[in-house]
Amino acid sequence: MTGPRHGGVHAMTGSRARVIGAVLRREIATIRRTPGYWIASLGLLVVLAGVLAVGGGGETGFVPTIVDLLLPTELLVPVVAVVLGYRALLTDAEELAMIRTYPISTVEYVCGIVAARFAALLGMLVPFALVGGYVWLTASPDTTIYATHTGVDSPLLFVRFLAFVVLLGLPYLSLAMVVGAVANSRRGALALAALVLIGGVLGGDLAVVGTLGGDAGVASFPARVAIPPNGAFRGLVFEHVIGVALPPDDGFVSSAAAVGSLLGWTAIGVGASIAALAFGDAVTDRLARVRGRVESLRGR
Amino acid sequence: MTDERPLVRVDDVTRTYGGVAVLTDVAFDVRAGITAVIGPNGSGKSTLLRALVGDTAPTDGTVRYHGPATARPIGYLPQRASFRGSFTARETLAFYARLLDETPDGYLERVGLSDAADRSVEDLSGGMRRLLGIAQATIGDPPVLVLDEPTSGLDPGMRERIFELAGQYAGTDAGVNATTDTEANAAVVVSTHDLELVDRYADRVLCLRHGAVAASGPLSAVYADHDVDTAADLYRSVVPGASSVADPATDSAESVHVTGVSTR
Repeated sequence: MTGPRHGGVHAMTGSRARVIGAVLRREIATIRRTPGYWIASLGLLVVLAGVLAVGGGGETGFVPTIVDLLLPTELLVPVVAVVLGYRALLTDAEELAMIRTYPISTVEYVCGIVAARFAALLGMLVPFALVGGYVWLTASPDTTIYATHTGVDSPLLFVRFLAFVVLLGLPYLSLAMVVGAVANSRRGALALAALVLIGGVLGGDLAVVGTLGGDAGVASFPARVAIPPNGAFRGLVFEHVIGVALPPDDGFVSSAAAVGSLLGWTAIGVGASIAALAFGDAVTDRLARVRGRVESLRGR
Repeated sequence: MTDERPLVRVDDVTRTYGGVAVLTDVAFDVRAGITAVIGPNGSGKSTLLRALVGDTAPTDGTVRYHGPATARPIGYLPQRASFRGSFTARETLAFYARLLDETPDGYLERVGLSDAADRSVEDLSGGMRRLLGIAQATIGDPPVLVLDEPTSGLDPGMRERIFELAGQYAGTDAGVNATTDTEANAAVVVSTHDLELVDRYADRVLCLRHGAVAASGPLSAVYADHDVDTAADLYRSVVPGASSVADPATDSAESVHVTGVSTR
């Protein structure tokens, strides 16, 4: 973003940590002061508590609770992550024009925004943690045992579940941020965000199911199911949370592929956001230049 | 007024949008002092200023900065600058100041907003928001300051105040007559429809018509070339059909937009 892109300006690059920190600080303050995000967190808590009350798993232990929460989590976490991310880079053009006159690169700017939104995503764990705390205090039989063997319920399994919840939120958050970077308006961003949500939550599973009838064998299913974020998350929860409390039966998902998939989608989202902000205007400018040359050739 | 090497050289800049030329072969030098960019609505003033700060790349031609090496060569206040409504004036400037490892208070004081430092942007008047925008543009003391219609929609007193600030920043005495030879430190390029203020504060003028330069140079020389005495007369002489200069009442009522966090 530094200085005029076309001239001979070579602005001195400021301290990377300082400028990223400045963006991070402003974004955190913006999130803190946006009532919509607090309402989303409260809504998440109400839905989780409601599911727990209706499902009854909370009275039994952590694993039954997680089984009750699994399906709602697969929908709610992407929704909250998309809400958190879709307008993060929908900065109006005038503000970006001002920021571009400072010594801050597009990468630094996006990194600051991403770090702040990731931090906000961690805040989403609070409703889950409250639910976990409630289970710890009220469930029977004794849930205070820290499991070291399979078949035993444990708070550690819930902590593991929380880690996977964050891993599920990251790709949706970063892909939603791409939406803001390419959209021209809030309405356009909203429409694209809805596509990301539907495509991720429904489209991924449908695509995997669609491959079952093909040449790809059942043996490769655990790897394929890890490709969409929801499949990867579900597989990890079965493999490392629910499966731990059940008789040994692995093969739900390839853990490495699942974690790689979730982090990979996240990296794709961050990279695409940077590219959209860094090169979006350049592409428009280049097209205008080409069109101008064509017009001038026609005029001759 | 210093008239040595220009701080910015604009060479035959052309910019098209969808095949329509908004600027055509615009060439001029930005030198220390106040340069007023005038012209009818749609004449390409904002596009030229965006090209000057690097926000819009020319379709053809070049814009080159030749000023001193600094962390921030050009400061910019867009025509519709937006700030986050729930942030205070100090918080708003602090963000921009941190990008240059600076603090905001001196810049607030420069534009006279020290007493309003803790007021949220949405509680500031339109004029105060404009002053905040100017304070933002001056952070890091860039050698070139670009202000896009900073006086539109403001009362006469505030318009005068903004040109006074531009004069102080350029290093010329506020209110100095354009023909007076005064040593300037920085260049301020300001687009405006306030032609009376151009007469009183500007050192140079650039008049655009249909995206091309209709007149350009030191104020006195341009006036002499066109046999006029005021910027309003210059405007009438180079803009066919301009029976009167732009009426401030037709300017947008509010050009600084507040982006409240609730809308993000």
